Amino acid sequence: MSEIQQTDLLIVGAGPAGLSAAATISADHDFRVMVIDEFPEPGGRLLGQFHEERDHSWWIGKTVAADLIAQNTLAGVTIQCGVSVYGLELLPDGWKVLTSNGDIHTKYLLLATGAAEVPVPVSGWTLPGVMSIGAAQVMANVHQVKPGEKGFIVGVNVLSLAIARELVVAGIELEGIALPSSDLFATEETTPVAAVELLTRLSDAAPAPWMRWGGKLAQKMKLSRLIASCFPKRGVKVWDLPLQLRTALVSIQGVDQVESVIVADVTSSGEMIEGSQREIEVDFVAIAGGLYPLAELAALAGCPFLYVSELGGNIPIHNERMKTTLPNLYVAGNITGVEGAQVAMAQGRLVAHSISYDAGWFACEEEQKLLDAIDEVKEVRRSAMIQFHPEIDEARKRIYELFDHWT
Amino acid sequence: MTTESADVVIIGGGIIGMATAYYLAKLGSDVVVVEKGEIAGGTSSKCDGNILAIDKEPGFDSQMSLESQKLVTQLVAELDEEFEYRAPGSILVCESDEEMEAAQTWVNRQKEAGLPFRMLDRGEIRSEWKHMAGDIHGGLECATDSTVNPVLFTYSLAVTAQRLGARLKTHTWVTGIRLDESGAVAGVETSNGLIRTKHVVNAAGVWSKPIAQMVGIEIPVEPRKGHILVSSRTESIGTRKVMEFSYLMSKFGKERKVDRLTEQYGVALVFEPTASQNFLIGSSREFVGFDMKINVEVIRCIARRAIRFFPVMKDIPVLRSYCGLRPWTPDHLPIVSPVEEVPGFYIAAGHEGDGISLAAITGKVMSECIMGQETTISIEPLHYKRFQKEDGKK
Amino acid sequence: MKKSLRISHHPLLGEMDKKVISFTYNGEKLQGLEGEPIAVALLASHIRVLRRHEESGSARGLYCGIGHCMECRVQVQGKGQVRACLTPLQEGMEIQEGSRLPNAITGRVDS
Ligand SMILES: Cc1cc2nc3c(=O)[nH]c(=O)nc-3n(C[C@H](O)[C@H](O)[C@H](O)COP(=O)(O)OP(=O)(O)OC[C@H]3O[C@@H](n4cnc5c(N)ncnc54)[C@H](O)[C@@H]3O)c2cc1C
Ligand SMILES: Cc1cc2nc3c(=O)[nH]c(=O)nc-3n(C[C@H](O)[C@H](O)[C@H](O)COP(=O)(O)OP(=O)(O)OC[C@H]3O[C@@H](n4cnc5c(N)ncnc54)[C@H](O)[C@@H]3O)c2cc1C
Ligand code: FES
Repeated sequence: MSEIQQTDLLIVGAGPAGLSAAATISADHDFRVMVIDEFPEPGGRLLGQFHEERDHSWWIGKTVAADLIAQNTLAGVTIQCGVSVYGLELLPDGWKVLTSNGDIHTKYLLLATGAAEVPVPVSGWTLPGVMSIGAAQVMANVHQVKPGEKGFIVGVNVLSLAIARELVVAGIELEGIALPSSDLFATEETTPVAAVELLTRLSDAAPAPWMRWGGKLAQKMKLSRLIASCFPKRGVKVWDLPLQLRTALVSIQGVDQVESVIVADVTSSGEMIEGSQREIEVDFVAIAGGLYPLAELAALAGCPFLYVSELGGNIPIHNERMKTTLPNLYVAGNITGVEGAQVAMAQGRLVAHSISYDAGWFACEEEQKLLDAIDEVKEVRRSAMIQFHPEIDEARKRIYELFDHWT
Repeated sequence: MTTESADVVIIGGGIIGMATAYYLAKLGSDVVVVEKGEIAGGTSSKCDGNILAIDKEPGFDSQMSLESQKLVTQLVAELDEEFEYRAPGSILVCESDEEMEAAQTWVNRQKEAGLPFRMLDRGEIRSEWKHMAGDIHGGLECATDSTVNPVLFTYSLAVTAQRLGARLKTHTWVTGIRLDESGAVAGVETSNGLIRTKHVVNAAGVWSKPIAQMVGIEIPVEPRKGHILVSSRTESIGTRKVMEFSYLMSKFGKERKVDRLTEQYGVALVFEPTASQNFLIGSSREFVGFDMKINVEVIRCIARRAIRFFPVMKDIPVLRSYCGLRPWTPDHLPIVSPVEEVPGFYIAAGHEGDGISLAAITGKVMSECIMGQETTISIEPLHYKRFQKEDGKK
Repeated sequence: MKKSLRISHHPLLGEMDKKVISFTYNGEKLQGLEGEPIAVALLASHIRVLRRHEESGSARGLYCGIGHCMECRVQVQGKGQVRACLTPLQEGMEIQEGSRLPNAITGRVDS
């Protein structure tokens, strides 16, 4: 273990939120900023993402991350990778942060730890070759190794479709994208009707034209049930993806690793149709159970929480300026609710202005920058290609109200 | 809001409450348990699972533990679910000749009282514990000590009590106790309505003090915090419980020879292997109110202490840590007692670090007491009045 | 021998620019890229089994790929137990799969 390190601002998480915050604050101020991340390289989930913009150009996360890292290097920000944070203690003048590389004292602390995936324990899910959809993304796009030759995706949601497309671009064959059998998971979210509802949220990014216009309409007219029941049995090809809403995964088979999946046809409410079971040979399965904010550190620090389903789970209470209810502790990015990387970056810039305002620099100027940054977050959210949930602004308001209540 | 009734209402779904519910239901009593959270959600899931006589004073203290040990062996057969019961005995280890001498005195006294104690020399320790530090002088053994999984044990008592007719109300708070004109118990007010009853058992662990205050009674039960570390699954280091003798040195009027933090946090080694191939390492003893935050400094101190006795632990990853609040009383004995001033009010709380050990005997005598039967052991030494007298003296 | 699972040329992301190095897994000599996570180097060579469950002995592999789930525990000579999805590969590393353990308490002896 090394000596106790000192800094003015410590950022936990070198994802889009953390890196943007560091770059923004150190561009304007002479402030010691340190970013730590337990992954071997900085970038967070940015490293694995790419998507097609409306003008058909590609937005490539790796490039965006490289850019942010360069800005930070130029501004003298220290980025330490391969270091895990496991404890936080409030001090009279800041925070003591306990890491696998020793303790760090900091005046301001920003938690930007992102999100994690909800596992779906379908039968056979512990077999090697079964992984989370995010792991498939990281293998293919960050490390550039295929998760397998031929795969199957379980779970139909915004993330699974976005990543499925990335896998296809990387030359990986997909045999199907389907829901887990609702006999195993009889929840609202796992019925075909619910899946259609989810798809309608993809708006512009919807994988097929009928969904793009149909989506908005369906949302307005509550047509999801109808669409689900009309959904072709053998699925449809969207973005070249074999989407199968009327097929469900029953189990994953194999001795020491994945060899095949068993699927069956289901009704629109998700009931399995007798005798429709069949086996498909694959060598990997990716499970997409959705995302939740990774907020353990906020809990360790002692933040109060609110469960907000639109934002993916338990959220540390904070205000629109990204301040938590605890002194000198801030949050930004997916820890405040599950959204895309561009929103996380905007939040990173916002929290940087919030911290410099609180630090008392150029207060007037910063106040304006802060207000602009708040607007910018909303604007980025509105125009994002990938919308995780339609009611995010309203859901966030509930948290901000609680913050006022608390303080 | 509803109103219902019961013969007995038990406040608290921890191990004490569930053991009492089980023995009462077995005697045919109509029991309701009111628990503000989940069954075993309090201290009974934030502890070790040792059923020990090794550290008890010979006399009433150890007799009560032995009775409880016997009852637990019967419960293994009586209860509906298995709870990882084993009786491999337990040992205390000594770091110096001075401790060995004190240990010899302890063993002699226990043997005179007829308990299965014996000394272990350096060789015996070495042959059983290949990973123990080489400078350990020796130790002592109590052959009958046993161990359980405390959460499974509590749930096993709960489901069996339920089968026998007990009703469990979780996520229900007790907000008050209703008395009749004569000052006797008439009902329990909860967040879900009133339960009419003539008998209430306060089994609320560290929260038993405010419950007693509801009927105007003061009991000196205070939270004494303890931390525990859980290792990842590993090759076996040993199959039974090890503690350090030095912690008993205070009983001999001697000071422990440990560093400042170990003393301040009351850290003493408790090594407990579990059936899941990992082990629990404890523990600390602190009076810091109801604060349930993990203190990393304490965790480090416990880890250092464990590595002092088992150097291999340096390389074994810790999975997680947790802490719990022991319901402490000034004389380290629980309160298991009727409250004569408030007819129908009973207390079964304050078991500090022995609630798992003493749950069976506590539940048994509480049920006998409420049903007007003769109790298996005398509960006179456990009467709550003993503290009132003390207060009077001051 | 099976073809490596490496994506040698990604249409959008290009090539990986890392040095090829040698390491061993369960004694077998293999090659991977310097600094990539152990689990990635193994996957590229079609090795998915990273450990045997300590109690049941069933095979386990990586699950989350980013350090959250702890499913990918392997033994590295000189480092002890590590997460294979986070630990960078180094020249000459000796890696061993996590193994089933006998259980001294239940008395199960096979390992
Ligand atoms: C698996 C996965 C795939 C995703 N794919 C997409 C996608 O394709 N498109 C999309 O729009 N959004 C995607 N998202 C959503 C994603 O969370 C956001 O796009 C964005 O990356 C969030 O940025 P962030 O900075 O908040 O967090 P992240 O980018 O997740 O960065 C957080 C960083 O914090 C580090 N960290 C966490 N805890 C600790 C700790 N205790 N100690 C040290 N470091 C720590 C992590 O290693 C990580 O690098 C994905 C999320 C996940 C979890
Ligand atoms: C670190 C540690 C290690 C330990 N190791 C051992 C050991 O090895 N062996 C041993 O014998 N003992 C051990 N103990 C002690 C043992 O855990 C306790 O003595 C025992 O769990 C106490 O049980 P209880 O039922 O009295 O309390 P609890 O389990 O706390 O139950 C009390 C219940 O009352 C409920 N309650 C409180 N107020 C209300 C209300 N108003 N309305 C409704 N419900 C209410 C609470 O929610 C709680 O569930 C240890 C303790 C700790 C902290
Ligand atoms: S695969 Fe989840 S921690 Fe490595």
